[in-house]
Amino acid sequence: MAETHLALSGLTRRFGANPPAVDALTLEVPRGALLALLGPSGCGKTTSLRLIAGLERADAGSVRVAGRDVTDLAPEARNMGVVFQSYALFPHMSAAGNVGFGLETRRLSRAERAARVAEALAMVGLADFAQRKPRALSGGQQQRVALARALAIQPDLLLLDEPLSALDAQLRDGVREEIRALQRRLGTTAVFVTHDQAEALAMADLVAVMDRGKLEQCAPPEALFDAPATPFVAGFVGRSSRFEGQVEAPGRIRIAGRLFGATETPAPGPAQVFVRPHRITLAEAGDLPARVTNRVFEGATALLTLDTPIGPLLAEVAAADPFRPGDAGFATLPPTALRVFPL
Amino acid sequence: MIGWLLAAPALCVMAFGFLLPVGVLLRMSLNRTDEMGAMREAVSLDTYGRLLSDDLNLSMASDTLQLGLGCAAAAVALALPVTLSIRAAPPAWRGALALAAVAPLLVSGTARIIGWLAILGDSGLVNAVLSWAGLPAQRLINNWTGVQIGLTESLMPYAVLVLLAGLGRLDPRLDEAAATLGASRSRVFWRVTLPLAVPALLAAFVLCLVLGISAFITPRLMGGGRVFVVATEIYDLALQTVDWPAAAAMAMLLLGGLVVLGGVRAVMARR
Repeated sequence: MAETHLALSGLTRRFGANPPAVDALTLEVPRGALLALLGPSGCGKTTSLRLIAGLERADAGSVRVAGRDVTDLAPEARNMGVVFQSYALFPHMSAAGNVGFGLETRRLSRAERAARVAEALAMVGLADFAQRKPRALSGGQQQRVALARALAIQPDLLLLDEPLSALDAQLRDGVREEIRALQRRLGTTAVFVTHDQAEALAMADLVAVMDRGKLEQCAPPEALFDAPATPFVAGFVGRSSRFEGQVEAPGRIRIAGRLFGATETPAPGPAQVFVRPHRITLAEAGDLPARVTNRVFEGATALLTLDTPIGPLLAEVAAADPFRPGDAGFATLPPTALRVFPL
Repeated sequence: MIGWLLAAPALCVMAFGFLLPVGVLLRMSLNRTDEMGAMREAVSLDTYGRLLSDDLNLSMASDTLQLGLGCAAAAVALALPVTLSIRAAPPAWRGALALAAVAPLLVSGTARIIGWLAILGDSGLVNAVLSWAGLPAQRLINNWTGVQIGLTESLMPYAVLVLLAGLGRLDPRLDEAAATLGASRSRVFWRVTLPLAVPALLAAFVLCLVLGISAFITPRLMGGGRVFVVATEIYDLALQTVDWPAAAAMAMLLLGGLVVLGGVRAVMARR
């Protein structure tokens, strides 16, 4: 992987006497990568972004960009392009005025500046809208102006705060791909904040899951999904069924009186188990009697809710599978499917 | 329909407390004053003609307008930094700071002027400091200077109120966005905050101008009888000269001027 471009170390921010909004956040992002900060609302992801941008002062810890410590720099000295959730376009300036604002303080000739504004607007497909004021642009267009404005300064880091949340669902996927393609083409290292895990998993090279100010796990989407490091990540990212049980010996766990095999287990004692629905198979024979109580058709697959002796269990099966509500069968939980954490 | 019903009490008060007296004044302003100074029933514009052809009245009107323009501009200019610092303060402090800025409104205007007399008087605080520093004493009351100082101070709370309301609607993210784009604080102010504050600044200016032009107590008390503005002249005409038609006509002219200003403001607001 490429060298580290953004490094956060022990980054902490407190508001009053409350528990820290961001608590000792430490992570690294390679050059050119897209990092998603994912978590429920109030988990500190937006505060983390603002700390990186310099819009909040860190109480402890450091922010380093390309090896340079920027922790004590004012936002205007950091050269970071920020796309705000509300876009924060200057209402009294045209699209071109907005995009050109960040270039005004740079030593550029008038012609150079105009060329870079035109280039940035063309990049987001808004060349024909240069003279429009923000209020004469649609939400999606405003979003692109905000993106063009952030990229026009050729930032060392692109920061996006819930960039898609104000767009309607139809637009969202298209803009998501565009942002990703643009970021990849320009090679700009980027951090974006989202509470939408589908968005994070689809766009990011690295996903940092946060909860209550703390980093739970920072990993590529696949690793996050297949090997969650904490119970929070296992429950938050993707669908899963959760059970409580007892680890009796390495590789053996008892749930509701039944013994299951698991490839990895913590030390014997009370434990919680997460199982992904797509790892479950349902057949005429198997280890766990199961009755289908609900079926949600999802196109290529169907999500079944199974009633089993250990509790309700979600299973994702091929849509062609014959099981319908009321049918009985046997579910199989392969040992590699069980993610076991101490309770 | 419900709206009209709810507004009915206010409309009644307005009708009896404002429209009726204005009607009475309008009628009175059309009467004549004879050589003996007695009022004669009539329907004529003679009184208006008499007032408008008097150069003294015209220069007084011009003085009043200049006083209003100057004090309104000064009040708005002083209120802007106050408002910006209230806006920049931590949220927990904002309410208290805003209250402090408009606190002068909680004190009677007369009491505030007596305070100013103690500060600006010939042996007041300012002159005490000047004489301590070996500088010549200044006359700061009973003249235009005193009226300008007192009027500016009395208009400032109104300017702060209007600016707080106007600037409160601006997204604070705009300042942050400008900063992330490399703009220094002064650049953010000149290129973002100030242009976006223009409508609020104009609204505050027109309100202060209207209040300044029609101000009576401050010119009366801080001018010490040496400062003549339209409002004090109306008072003198009505109670010293006892020329009611002239007082009424001048009041109508002042009202007319204020209505025109209100109209200008409304047109600007629509832009």
